[in-house]
Amino acid sequence: MFQLLNTILIGITAGAIYSLMAISIVLVWRSTRVINFAQAGMALLSTYFGYEAMVHFNSFWIALPVAMVGGAGIAALIELVFMRLLVKRSSTGPMAAVAPIIATLGLLGLIKGIISSIWGGADVRLVGPVTNVGYSIGDKTLAFSPLKLLTLCTIVALMLLLTVLFQKSNIGLSLRASAYSPEIARLSGVKVDFVRTLGWSLAGAAGAVAGMFQTVNGNGAFSPESIEFALLLISGFIAAVIGGLESLVGAVVGGLVLGLVISFVLMYISSSLFFIAPFVILLIILFVRPQGILGVKAARRA
Amino acid sequence: MKAMNRRKLFTVCATIAVASLAITAIPAQAAEVGVSSSEIKLGMTLPMTGTASPGYNKIPAAVKAYFDYVNANGGINGRKLTLVVKDDQYVPTLAVAKTNELILKDKVMALLAPLGTANNKAVAAVVNPGARGIPTLFVNTGYSGFSDKKKYPTTFSILPSYIMEAKIMAEYIKDNFAGKKLGLIYQDDDFGDDALAGFKQAGINFDVKVAYASGSQSGTTAAGWMQKLQAGGAEVVILFGVSSATAAALGTAAVMKFAPQWILGSVGGDATTIKAAGVPAGVLYNAVGASFAPATTDTTDEYVKLFQDIYLKANPDQIFDNNVMVGMNTAFVTAQALKAAGSNPTRKSLIAAIEKSGKNFASAALVPLNYSTTSHVGYNGYWFGKYSPTGDLKPAGGVYTVYTTDSGNGAVVKSTYKRPAMPAKGLPN
Amino acid sequence: MHKFKSSHHLAFFIIFGFILFLTGNRVDELRVYQGASIAVYVVAISSIILLTGYSGQVSLGHGALLAIGAYSAAVARNNFHAPVVLTFVIAVLAAALGGALLGAAAARLSGPYLAGTTLALAIGLPSLANQFPIFGGEQGVFFDVGFPPPSLGEGFTQYKWFFWIAGLAALISIWLVANILRSRYGRNWRAGRSNETAAALAGISVSRSKILAFTISAGVAGLAGALLSMTIGTVSPSAFPLALSFSLLTGAVLSGVSTLSGVMIGAVTLVAIPEIADAVATRIGVSERFTTNLPGLMVSTLLILTVLFVPNGPVEQHRTRQARKAAKEKN
Repeated sequence: MFQLLNTILIGITAGAIYSLMAISIVLVWRSTRVINFAQAGMALLSTYFGYEAMVHFNSFWIALPVAMVGGAGIAALIELVFMRLLVKRSSTGPMAAVAPIIATLGLLGLIKGIISSIWGGADVRLVGPVTNVGYSIGDKTLAFSPLKLLTLCTIVALMLLLTVLFQKSNIGLSLRASAYSPEIARLSGVKVDFVRTLGWSLAGAAGAVAGMFQTVNGNGAFSPESIEFALLLISGFIAAVIGGLESLVGAVVGGLVLGLVISFVLMYISSSLFFIAPFVILLIILFVRPQGILGVKAARRA
Repeated sequence: MKAMNRRKLFTVCATIAVASLAITAIPAQAAEVGVSSSEIKLGMTLPMTGTASPGYNKIPAAVKAYFDYVNANGGINGRKLTLVVKDDQYVPTLAVAKTNELILKDKVMALLAPLGTANNKAVAAVVNPGARGIPTLFVNTGYSGFSDKKKYPTTFSILPSYIMEAKIMAEYIKDNFAGKKLGLIYQDDDFGDDALAGFKQAGINFDVKVAYASGSQSGTTAAGWMQKLQAGGAEVVILFGVSSATAAALGTAAVMKFAPQWILGSVGGDATTIKAAGVPAGVLYNAVGASFAPATTDTTDEYVKLFQDIYLKANPDQIFDNNVMVGMNTAFVTAQALKAAGSNPTRKSLIAAIEKSGKNFASAALVPLNYSTTSHVGYNGYWFGKYSPTGDLKPAGGVYTVYTTDSGNGAVVKSTYKRPAMPAKGLPN
Repeated sequence: MHKFKSSHHLAFFIIFGFILFLTGNRVDELRVYQGASIAVYVVAISSIILLTGYSGQVSLGHGALLAIGAYSAAVARNNFHAPVVLTFVIAVLAAALGGALLGAAAARLSGPYLAGTTLALAIGLPSLANQFPIFGGEQGVFFDVGFPPPSLGEGFTQYKWFFWIAGLAALISIWLVANILRSRYGRNWRAGRSNETAAALAGISVSRSKILAFTISAGVAGLAGALLSMTIGTVSPSAFPLALSFSLLTGAVLSGVSTLSGVMIGAVTLVAIPEIADAVATRIGVSERFTTNLPGLMVSTLLILTVLFVPNGPVEQHRTRQARKAAKEKN
């Protein structure tokens, strides 16, 4: 019974982080129709910014905003310089569908390489502001700690903020409009280019938060080769896909499902199988519902 | 027209391919590969980056520090010792590729202290240095099979084997923790299998066994390991994995407030790495550990003093710990082997030298070397101790009680070995 | 079956094969070993050109298909003592089967969903091998093609043997792929890639042709996987990391994703990059960290630059330029 509770708690916390990662992928998809495989790499880079801030200021509460601003900045830079050029040069020809995918994969490799060159491939440590030692209930320890509570609260707050932004504000409307019909949006006076960059920046900031919390929750060690990063990369992406790519809610659902499944496999089955679990879930969902849990079937394009 | 252009293109491609392949001129063969009149080149593969690298990536600097010391004091028979290091990220297929590079491209005389059981096995099977007469000196693994001269004719062990370690550990457990529930964390490959074989031979039965796939160790997966150990009620847990796995296990256990009696295997017992991974020193306190070299905090020991001195002069902002100590010791033994190989060393003479005089080489260890024409076994024993409140391994009661045994059915006995005095200035004489 | 009008191309391949044979005798072991690696990449990249360039389907997980081929070959050899040629055939068939299944699943998916599935496959499938002891777990199993026959003489090294086998396999497979691409099937693929609706109206069963593309591409990839494990001697999950799928994609883009004739460019570049990186690093004398990462950085940068500036590959770029020049001259 207690093990079940612990497993669920671990799953929810991990799932929240994957949801945030998935949200950043969905944000980019919805604002520019591109799957950004480099999203987790950008999150990793932002985490290193946070680490540097940590080293200099010794405060997580300074490190987090630094990471977020850094993440937003990097994302905006990439959108302005890289993506615009890409769209211009390869919108026709046999590479049209493939080019953005390959380009973002290349970007991922580049970011990882740059990180390894600057900070080395060895682990860097990031310590959370509160302890990760679990709460005690009687003589048992819950797999839930002040740190995990903080993680959940921060992520939920961020998600609410983003949802309000997207659904209720003018900027959110502009973002959605620019993604679906850029010409019409432009005619309506929406600054499409600015809005696209904004979409990427928000995604970058969200990814940074995901990266920071993924680090401090996993014993605090992070490196381009660590399992934590690989999990972020894969789970964020798969969560976005199984959630349907079209809605933020879908991303959240996808993330939670994935987090719980991975946790159950890890605790009850075997620690060597947990890496395959996301893949199996992905296959099952795509087989049953190719458009994802909350996605809509794509209309036939001319 | 189009067909002609295509054929032209094919021809161009073909020419490029052929040209690029043929660019190499075959260099004239030196007297012995890797040996010139001024230099002896050795090659090492180990994880410098990647999940298994913490702790072990300090070894090249340690070896280089000692080699530079030797070079500054005249080298070996007038030749400088050079070390070429390749990062294999603890992946066997990479180890094969990098070893090929060392042999074919860098043309080293011998392979020195390649790290990893699975890596060395893959290299032996694929690159086959044994059949090519290339010495593989002092492999950085305790896999008992490598001292089998018939299977690995040019390979020399140095570390006590995992079977030896398991047998001695079993004695310690029988003496101190009899009747308690035992747990084990081990790596799911030949490294872990060797340990399992050793424990089986020693008659130890585990109540909980947790295997982890190499490369999967992290805070996330360690939670799963701890869950299983807790559910199984383990009171004494042996951590027989690599340093990063040990660190992950201890860190996660601290967070889950799970505190059995820990026993750290020699492979992953590196306190510096564990502490650097954020494990509070309090978690290590009173954990049991083993080593065959003097404790690195024991500055009364002449070897510790000299090696620490040499290392810190070359790497002032680093910590002198067990990985460094063992690395420099291996370098020390290597230098003696190269000296004994004669004024015109060849691969054959190097191997013969170790077999003939290896057991008399000076070394910092508190157990003897056992090389002979029939045996490639290096050290054969350990002393056990506990980690202090600051997380340093110290012998129990301040006295080194060393046990030796073999990788077979031999008994575990208290050693009466007295380590000979260090040669002048710690150089091969 | 269709008649392949390929006699003149066959002659070319035979001549090229002879040139390779001569070269193999002249160069030292390292180059021969690299030659074998180039041959492996040629086969692997050609499979991606077929799938992505001609049939328009993106597979981020070709590494997994190579893994299927490699493991099948190893198991056939170790557990059933199959002769080497048979192991390669088994590798092709097993991987083709995997490809057919993947293709059937992929036919329902588009764009990012397909990419996601193949990505997950690339990462998940090799780890699956850990679960079955027959695949040797994390450290894998050995794949030994045996020593060169004594009739070839004493100085005939193992690496030269690899070079011969890989080179011959590559020549045969490229010849076959080239012919398939120029056949009706290749035309169907290109039609489906450009405009699915129009192709369907023209009577092409688009989904069936897509599945066929996946199947054949996977079979070729399986051969590459078996050849790869021959050269490194082992098959393990770590031999097929995500980086491999990524390198293959890079090689395909460098070659020109829809130009088979450029395949050597991609293959040679992939093998040459670590060498070049090494040379550059030693000349500049930079930090240890940078040196280890330089090959990866070069591959990523090259990929990005190619996608941005030469998206259809150097061969196609050259052709377009020639065509433009010819058109200008006409006017």
